[in-house]
Amino acid sequence: MKDRISIVVMVDAVGALSDRTLHNGNLSLVDDSSAGSKHQGTPDLVTAVVPGQVVQWTPIHVDVQTPVEIQAIEFLSGAPVPLPADQAAPPAPVEPSAVPAPGAVPWTGVDATDSNGHENLDLLVWEGVVPYDMTPGVPYRYRLSLKLHEGPNSVLHIDSPALLRV
Amino acid sequence: MAQQHGIIVLFDVENALRTRSLDGNTYWFDNMKFLGSAGVGTENLVTIVPGTYFLDGSQATEQVLNWLPAALGSIPPTVPRNYLAEQERADDRRTLEELAALSGESGVSTTDLKRLQRRIGKHARKPGGGRGLTEAKLLDVTGKTTSSAGAYNYPAPVITDITGPAVTEKIIYPAQYGSPDMIYDGWYWAATVDTSRPGVYPYTVHVQLHELVERNDELIWESVDLACESSLKIISDPKRNGFTGAGLGVLPLPPVPAAG
Repeated sequence: MKDRISIVVMVDAVGALSDRTLHNGNLSLVDDSSAGSKHQGTPDLVTAVVPGQVVQWTPIHVDVQTPVEIQAIEFLSGAPVPLPADQAAPPAPVEPSAVPAPGAVPWTGVDATDSNGHENLDLLVWEGVVPYDMTPGVPYRYRLSLKLHEGPNSVLHIDSPALLRV
Repeated sequence: MAQQHGIIVLFDVENALRTRSLDGNTYWFDNMKFLGSAGVGTENLVTIVPGTYFLDGSQATEQVLNWLPAALGSIPPTVPRNYLAEQERADDRRTLEELAALSGESGVSTTDLKRLQRRIGKHARKPGGGRGLTEAKLLDVTGKTTSSAGAYNYPAPVITDITGPAVTEKIIYPAQYGSPDMIYDGWYWAATVDTSRPGVYPYTVHVQLHELVERNDELIWESVDLACESSLKIISDPKRNGFTGAGLGVLPLPPVPAAG
């Protein structure tokens, strides 16, 4: 068993902003789990994990001069989830970032203000330990919200990726 | 992941050559306004460089700066670099063809000859010292030959060095790199930044402009070396966990995951 699993989030920021969606090939998720992950390279990545492992998410931008940061990772709860923007085609309008994921574990958001008074999401490290009380064989889907630059349309999300305890 | 910085330096070449100074003749523009760059679009740009470090004090994000020179009134930088050379050759070929066509039975008129003489255009040579541009015809922005001093196209400004306190204090490590991107002649200036010492650090960009002068009945591109200044504002903040706001913790999984 590996101690750490990396999930790399590759983003075409210009494509995502002009399409207003992380679909259409604008986002690709890949992990290095050796326990049998599924849908590598797609937004529907299911990462196979084992309790005690540290999972880390890292965003990488295709265009090096575009800003791509993770704004939030929220695990979706058993409450019914209306299928939002991500599965509609053509894409529905982007949901405002302030609206939390439906049924998500309550999450207040970590302060990412830098010493110059600006929000800088580059300050956040997205990693956590897989808990031992995670139910095996059931995918835990999460909402991955990315922030591309700033402004009212800068945050996009997908609800499709998941962690799966094997 | 932190983005790379792009810093455009736009030069008013004509005015700079006239006043022999870059004061008031540069416009600076970077892509970091949303993180706090000040004076974007003006001569007084302060580029923010938001550094980060891990809790053990080590530098977490490497910041990279890229300088992109541009000139007002020049051929846009996106046009291929061999544009002028191609245009010059095409123009010569056309002139030769017309010259060949002239030697018909009807004889050669002086007006035709005069017209073709004008077409040959003027060449600007290298200065005696040998440093500077290669010899080439004078072309206007549309790539046509011209002998008018008001119509010719200034060559793009060339960054020759980056110096100043930011360099001597070892905050930035600038260098010129070869690049497959021909927009900047296959070369560009870039630097990595040591963000461990916050503060405002000025730096100087040395630029070579080219002025067309007439000497001994010849046109010569003389290089004119000038300098302009900008500064970097370095800040540094600790990384923190996105889930906990502090150190590593357990992932916030719900008791029952969402179906589907």
